Amino acid sequence: MTSAIIAIAAALAIALSTLGPGIAQGMTAKSAMESIARQPDAAKDIRSTLIISLALMEALTIYGLLIAFMLVAKV
Amino acid sequence: MGEGSKVIFSIFGILDVTGEVVTMWIILGVVTVLCLIVKCNLKEKPGKFQNMIETGVEYLDNFFEGILGRKKSRQYFTFLASLFIFIIFANYSGLIPGVGITDYAKAPTASLSVTAGFGLVTFIFLQYAGLKVGVKHYFKRFISPMFFMLPLLLLDEFIKPASLALRLFGNVFGEEMVTEELYHIFPIGVPVVMMVLSILFCALQAMVFTMLTSIYLDEATELEI
Repeated sequence: MTSAIIAIAAALAIALSTLGPGIAQGMTAKSAMESIARQPDAAKDIRSTLIISLALMEALTIYGLLIAFMLVAKV
Repeated sequence: MGEGSKVIFSIFGILDVTGEVVTMWIILGVVTVLCLIVKCNLKEKPGKFQNMIETGVEYLDNFFEGILGRKKSRQYFTFLASLFIFIIFANYSGLIPGVGITDYAKAPTASLSVTAGFGLVTFIFLQYAGLKVGVKHYFKRFISPMFFMLPLLLLDEFIKPASLALRLFGNVFGEEMVTEELYHIFPIGVPVVMMVLSILFCALQAMVFTMLTSIYLDEATELEI
């Protein structure tokens, strides 16, 4: 019983922590592409800022992933 | 994670040598030999190999110059570029067949101890760079807009290296685990999908680590507050 609950908790940890950053990354990429299309000269600056912001959002998913791995180890 | 790596042998009974350490030694050896080969055969008209290395170094130079500006990027280029080269080699070492399966060779960045070490080195370097600019300036940075920002800014200083370490570890470890799971599902052909993606992600993670380090460095050594 306990291990089943832990398994569900692990699945929820990764699923929920992917949901938010996934939406946010999509919105970030969308607006970055729009601005590149509008101003192709600034593409280099926009790209580096985009990668940084994506990496910072990615960190949240990674924390969820680590928690999920920790929980899976306890099943 | 929780479980420690298997100790292969220990030097003087204190220094435990694990698979990660062995892989790091090999990486150090390979990078040193590559550098020596290029350095001893420097030519006015570069050959194929020298051309390749020069392109890489130029790319790194432009990369850091875009973030830090010319003067600071030249000043700190050695540290940042060494960090980048070591991390990218460490990430790619996980893709070599056999690495990760045996206890004698493991991808170093898939272990939290190694990435925490990177975080610690970055932390010390940031403090050193800040102090080198000026002691007064270093302490002024913590109370820059208002004095009550002190606890937040102090905490931020410790969170930065911790999040750097966790991000690198989580990404590389996650990739390794996903590849392993795919291997268990169907051993032939299927893990290739994840490994091809890993080629992209490994370079990206090394880039993100050094990019964030250089942005923190830019913040720490900024003169006008």
